[in-house]
Amino acid sequence: MSVLDRLLGRDLHSLAAPYALDALEGEEKRRFERHLKGCHRCAEEVRALTEDAVRLAWSTAAAPPAALRDRVLTAVRLTPQEQSARDLTRVRAAHQPTRARAPRLRPLFAPLATATAAAALVVAALFAVQVTQARDQLDQERAQAREIAHVLAAPDARATGERDQSGRGIGVVASASERRAVVTLSGLGTPSGGRVHQLWLMRPNENPRSLGLFDGDTPLVADGLDPNSTSLAVTVEPHGGSQQPTTSPVVQLALETVGFGE
Amino acid sequence: MEADELLVLVAGGDQKAFEELYGLVSGPVFGLVRRVVRDPAQSEEVSQEVLLELWRSAPRFDPGRGSALSWILTLAHRRAVDRVRSARAATEREQREGQRNHRPAFDQVAEEVEAGLEREWVRRCLDRLTALQRQSVTLAYYDGYTYREVAERLSLPLGTVKTRMRDGLTRLRDCLGGVA
Ligand SMILES: [Zn+2]
Repeated sequence: MSVLDRLLGRDLHSLAAPYALDALEGEEKRRFERHLKGCHRCAEEVRALTEDAVRLAWSTAAAPPAALRDRVLTAVRLTPQEQSARDLTRVRAAHQPTRARAPRLRPLFAPLATATAAAALVVAALFAVQVTQARDQLDQERAQAREIAHVLAAPDARATGERDQSGRGIGVVASASERRAVVTLSGLGTPSGGRVHQLWLMRPNENPRSLGLFDGDTPLVADGLDPNSTSLAVTVEPHGGSQQPTTSPVVQLALETVGFGE
Repeated sequence: MEADELLVLVAGGDQKAFEELYGLVSGPVFGLVRRVVRDPAQSEEVSQEVLLELWRSAPRFDPGRGSALSWILTLAHRRAVDRVRSARAATEREQREGQRNHRPAFDQVAEEVEAGLEREWVRRCLDRLTALQRQSVTLAYYDGYTYREVAERLSLPLGTVKTRMRDGLTRLRDCLGGVA
């Protein structure tokens, strides 16, 4: 071990207290977390100092707003818990359509307070992505999860979805007051040749408006939905997307059950 | 039931147990988040994220590694600090102006102290730290500053701040250790 390494190592040991206080950030924090995996002494120290730091929280308790309880409990009814990778595979398999299912398109809609297949689809897709992605991407994912939680938390958030005979589906949780929606696709796969799935907002007597491009399984958060929007449509477009749809929709979903187009 | 037993039930998907756990921990979570984040609307949003994350990640809780409450508050603190840092980064100019009016963190703690044995205890124990220990600990924990920012604010070398943080926490342990 070089002098530098030793210095560096000693430097790292001394970061246990700042770490316990959440006072590290960026590369320094990541480096210390790597160090923690191999340094028993620091792991023990962090554990003890974290317990100490938590004592400081005792002096801060305050009654939360009553509305928070309703929102959290509602979201909890909709949100699956973390599972092992094997469980996730099983959940995905359970989502595959069976031959016995009715061949027609079947809209699913309900107030958010009762968990629906569509909402579960949205949430399950989101968290499946989170579990399987590399750690570095988690911050970005978390920011998105926050946006999604924000839509889910709106008092008028409602869920709807459709899936056709071949298992191609679209799920949406939307809030008319927030003018936002979280949209997920299922069973569409990734288009070949670098092409992409593009989401469109359909309004009467107006051209479709692009709401963005899907990135794999990741749910898309769509902003600025007009109250008179009637449906969402997904088309396959060249890399980078198009100004206007150039192919016919692979899936389409009416928005009236989620408070739009009235 | 205690938070530890409830959290184990919650990890098994028990929504009733979560409701009960909510009753126990939402006050500490919201209070801590608000202490760090300050803005009421943002505090509510962060608390909501934390409580939902509590439900989602409950299966990861390992009772052998500490109490449920400390696991939950650690989660809450981390999220609150994330939020206050990104908010700070976004309003750096305002922040510089705010700094001029900045009062020591401990005064703010003292100011917010209301009735309650726990508050009184924490305050009394913070009083027993040296000024630098107290400021190093509270600027990080209650105000969400990194230890580098703390060093800058207190015009201290990084090594000194690290040591003060460690000594301050250890002294708190000695003082608060009997209360739980
Ligand atoms: Zn170490």
